[in-house]
Amino acid sequence: MTSTDVNNLSMTNTELWLLFFAVGLGTFLVRLSFIQLHGSAEALIRRSKPILMMLPPAILAALCIPAILFTRPLTDYQLNYDQIIAAIVTILITRFSKSVFWPVVGGMLCLWALRWLNIT
Amino acid sequence: MIDHRKHFWLGVRDFLPLVSGVLPFGLIAGATGVSLGMSPEMVLGMTVLFFAGSAQLAAYSLIQDNAPFVIILVTAVVVNLRFAIYSATFAPLLGPLKKRYRFPMAYMLSDQVYGLCSMPEQLQKSKHEQVWYIAGVSIAMALSWLISVVLGVVLGAGIPPGWSLEFTIPLAFLAMLVSTISNRLLLMVAMISGATIVLLQWLPYNFGFIVAVTAGVTGGAVLPNLLKMRGASHD
Repeated sequence: MTSTDVNNLSMTNTELWLLFFAVGLGTFLVRLSFIQLHGSAEALIRRSKPILMMLPPAILAALCIPAILFTRPLTDYQLNYDQIIAAIVTILITRFSKSVFWPVVGGMLCLWALRWLNIT
Repeated sequence: MIDHRKHFWLGVRDFLPLVSGVLPFGLIAGATGVSLGMSPEMVLGMTVLFFAGSAQLAAYSLIQDNAPFVIILVTAVVVNLRFAIYSATFAPLLGPLKKRYRFPMAYMLSDQVYGLCSMPEQLQKSKHEQVWYIAGVSIAMALSWLISVVLGVVLGAGIPPGWSLEFTIPLAFLAMLVSTISNRLLLMVAMISGATIVLLQWLPYNFGFIVAVTAGVTGGAVLPNLLKMRGASHD
């Protein structure tokens, strides 16, 4: 594979690089925000914390729930039972393991087992 | 000088057990990028520019869905808004540093650095000791993250597409979701956001994502007060 536009994505490599630089800059500014404002933003920090705390669950739920429930393309609303059962297994394992690793491994093993057995 | 080193290496040492969590996440981030058809240079460039695993996985799934540029950009930055909390937490320590130290330290802020350096026993130390400790954790984290992604890129090239490796992304998000839900309010936020995005799946350009996150956070901010008011009027 050469490094020119040989990928199966709709974006060209130049567009992807632009995207990565833009996200990188945005992320750096978020990280720098309050450190740079230090001394002049104590009230703002206190007020925005409760909202910022709610962002992770809102974002993570929106990212994973459709991809787990439905087969691609997600807009067809075609339920995928293998994936749903694998997700339940993942949730069960998170009760015993604090890291992300074992729940993901357990879920993937379950998905492969279900596909191999061809039950659902 | 000796004193600096002691606290720096203490940070490195305290970070080491977390490698077991960083390594597999980095492997997934590296392997998935290659499986989407990106060149190794692109995956590594992306890793260095983002320096944020969950935003990287979120970007992968949107790139795969052919979402437009602006949606991917906004989504990835929104996923990283939690870093603002960390920035606020460490502002008194890192804010007074010279720019050439302040910028790299800000760049390296991560979940792991926040987790280790905001522990009560760290906050009792002097500012000077805390800064060196944060530097130790941050540099150890940055190196292990980059090495893990490189390993993922190398290994990922050999994994066949039939294994559906891309399904590790929603599973990883699900596992993170379960660990972030520490109370009923946050469970409600997640449920509102999840239900909204399922209902809005038909909207073009993954526009539903931004609506769902906004609905979740707004619901979380407004509903507790509404429920309290109703409870009060019953009394």
